[in-house]
Amino acid sequence: MKAAPGNMDPSSKRYIYRVNKEENRKELKHVRIDESNVQEVAKDAGVSASKVKKGKKILDLPKKKYYRQRAHSNPFSDHQLEYPECPADMDWARLYPGFVDSATGKLSREVTIADIGCGFGGLMIDLSPAFPQELILGMEIRVQVTNYVEDRIIALRTNHAREQQYQNINVLRGNAMKFLPNFFHKAQLNKMFFCFPDPHFKQRKHKARIVTSTLLSEYAYVLKEGGVVYTITDVEDLHNWMVSHLEQHPLFKRLSKEWEQNDKCVEIMTNATEEGKKVARKQGAKYIACFERLPDPEII
Amino acid sequence: MGTEATSRVCSGPLENVAIPVQHTITTMAFIHPIQALATIGNDSIIFTVVKNVIMAFQQQSSGEYKQIGEWADTYDRSDSIKEKVSKEQERQIQENIKKQKDNEGNSVPKKVSQAKVPVPGPGAPRIYSCIRNLIVTKNGGKLISCADSDKSVLIFKIDLSNKTNCLELLKRQPFPKRPNAITISDDESTVIMADKFGDVYSIPIEGEPITNINEELDPILGHVSMLTDVLFKTDSKGKRFLITTDRDEHIKVSHFPQSFIVDKWLFGHKEFVSSVCSPAWKSNFLFSAGGDDSVYLWDWEAGKKLAEFNYSEAVKPYLGDNHLAPSRFQNENNDVIEYAVSKIVAFSTAPYVAFFVEATKVLFILKVDSEKETFTLSKTIDLPYNVISLESVQGDELVVSLDNRDSGNNDFVKFIKYDAANDDFTVDDAKSKAVDTCLKQFSNSEKLVVESADVYPLYSITTLKKHGEHYS
Repeated sequence: MKAAPGNMDPSSKRYIYRVNKEENRKELKHVRIDESNVQEVAKDAGVSASKVKKGKKILDLPKKKYYRQRAHSNPFSDHQLEYPECPADMDWARLYPGFVDSATGKLSREVTIADIGCGFGGLMIDLSPAFPQELILGMEIRVQVTNYVEDRIIALRTNHAREQQYQNINVLRGNAMKFLPNFFHKAQLNKMFFCFPDPHFKQRKHKARIVTSTLLSEYAYVLKEGGVVYTITDVEDLHNWMVSHLEQHPLFKRLSKEWEQNDKCVEIMTNATEEGKKVARKQGAKYIACFERLPDPEII
Repeated sequence: MGTEATSRVCSGPLENVAIPVQHTITTMAFIHPIQALATIGNDSIIFTVVKNVIMAFQQQSSGEYKQIGEWADTYDRSDSIKEKVSKEQERQIQENIKKQKDNEGNSVPKKVSQAKVPVPGPGAPRIYSCIRNLIVTKNGGKLISCADSDKSVLIFKIDLSNKTNCLELLKRQPFPKRPNAITISDDESTVIMADKFGDVYSIPIEGEPITNINEELDPILGHVSMLTDVLFKTDSKGKRFLITTDRDEHIKVSHFPQSFIVDKWLFGHKEFVSSVCSPAWKSNFLFSAGGDDSVYLWDWEAGKKLAEFNYSEAVKPYLGDNHLAPSRFQNENNDVIEYAVSKIVAFSTAPYVAFFVEATKVLFILKVDSEKETFTLSKTIDLPYNVISLESVQGDELVVSLDNRDSGNNDFVKFIKYDAANDDFTVDDAKSKAVDTCLKQFSNSEKLVVESADVYPLYSITTLKKHGEHYS
């Protein structure tokens, strides 16, 4: 992954910012951040003395303007991606250093919540305190957006080191349409979120949508029985598409409106994501549909 | 590096790479090399694909082969393109009517002109109308193939009582994307087709073709990657499965017909997978190969990798300028080589598998130890020309077709027989010769003869290698 594309002006503010942040990420991404080392972390991240308030260091949250990139990424093209050869090869401990069992050096639990196409990470950040005992992973295909979320998590972990918050969330750059089974084994996940996915309006682009009948079989594979798929979008066409494909799939059943009203994730999903807030500002509609993973039928 | 290699390096990606003739470029026309092969039972009947023609030959009691069937793909794609273009134009006009309005708010109709069929520009890649993928049903009643011209699956009835032409086209099913691999379900009622876009369709052998796939037929399963092979299997409990392989290192095992239930993935490949096979003599074994330096042995029922065989040393002497990576992926020394296994097949009863690396003149035969669950190199068979296709034949025989464009219409095919008494492999020269002689008769046939510039792309597997070209 490059810090900046080759044609970027090396004296520009954005370039310098990106290079600095890249350095930080390299050092801090996999570090266990707690009260004992927060001073050093803050020093590494270049916190100026003026930011020290009452003995507590505050790390600046990343600024979105330095992470701009095109809004879309072609999921079919041959990206430079890192992914494990199989789920057993995945080193999750590096992503959740706060949950490493100091005796064994291994993670005490598995990732159970996935936010596919997590964007700027707003959903994860609100889910984190709601599910403190579950590990939450965001997947995002755009490099700069992933970098932003990483920087945001580093800053949040540092600023909340005393309360040990935000230790259960992290982000990966990846193509979930191609490599989801490389990360998760069968029936690993409890919840999968698809929040404001790329609508791909053109009919011939429909295969690029994140919900298709063929991909749903793969999502069903990584979800456990009773696991839930959450979808939300502001595009009615896409909503109808997702609902009809999920309803037609033999392994999913739609959950009732009543269920939706009582579920805290629906509440968070509706209000927490950056895209959700944008839609709310423009007073647009939000379409929600949640589906339960049914047990496999008898194999014939 | 010679001039041939340069032109290879400069040529475009994927299937448009036609590896140039290696020696002197002859202007003489010759019979196009055989692209695909299939046989019935003990190879007394052999089907070949040359250009866009499927031909059937039967061995006579004298040992000679005689032509018994022929079918040529004469489909003209311009009609369907015109239809598509007109439809798109109509749609755009409809859309514009809504947008264009005069001062009173009435929509302004646009002048309608005749839709033009686009003509490829001077730099455009050539369009070929190949036929590929040839398989025969187990009972020898049907022949299934794919035509590039309209991206269709072709289903033929093999009628040996018809003395003039044993091939009768039953069904021609076009698809939106090009079929890349086909297989038949065990009850021989259904063809399973895997396409370049990653979708797998199931179509009945009987019945009328479907005219609009997108509206009438949903894929039964899919990958978000080009599919390279598909295999139908039944496990020891009698449950049926589909095994699909793709360009993203994946081998996926799904239930059938409940193909929405993924059973497992077989993880281990680091490069694309190009070919899988499973032997009749050990049904839970699966062999896979592709862009990796190794071929793999799996227990696909247990989902376990059992062994791998690294062939990189064995193949080294056979690699040449043809295997240099394309220029944009080359290093300063110009010595990055790329190669891939094109196909792997299992012998019908003997515990051996055979495979070849694309654009090499050698066939590797591995001996499989079913007890220890390993395999080792048993024999390498040198051939006079590059191998193009490889098939396993009943009675522990293999048949290969060769890139014989420099041979003066000789050496089209080689039969390789397993000699059980000596546990060895020999090339059956007499039989190979008999097929060559039969084909040679067509050296004046316009249908089969080409100039060297018009040879269809015979080497397109290695170009599937991924280079991580996109950063953002």
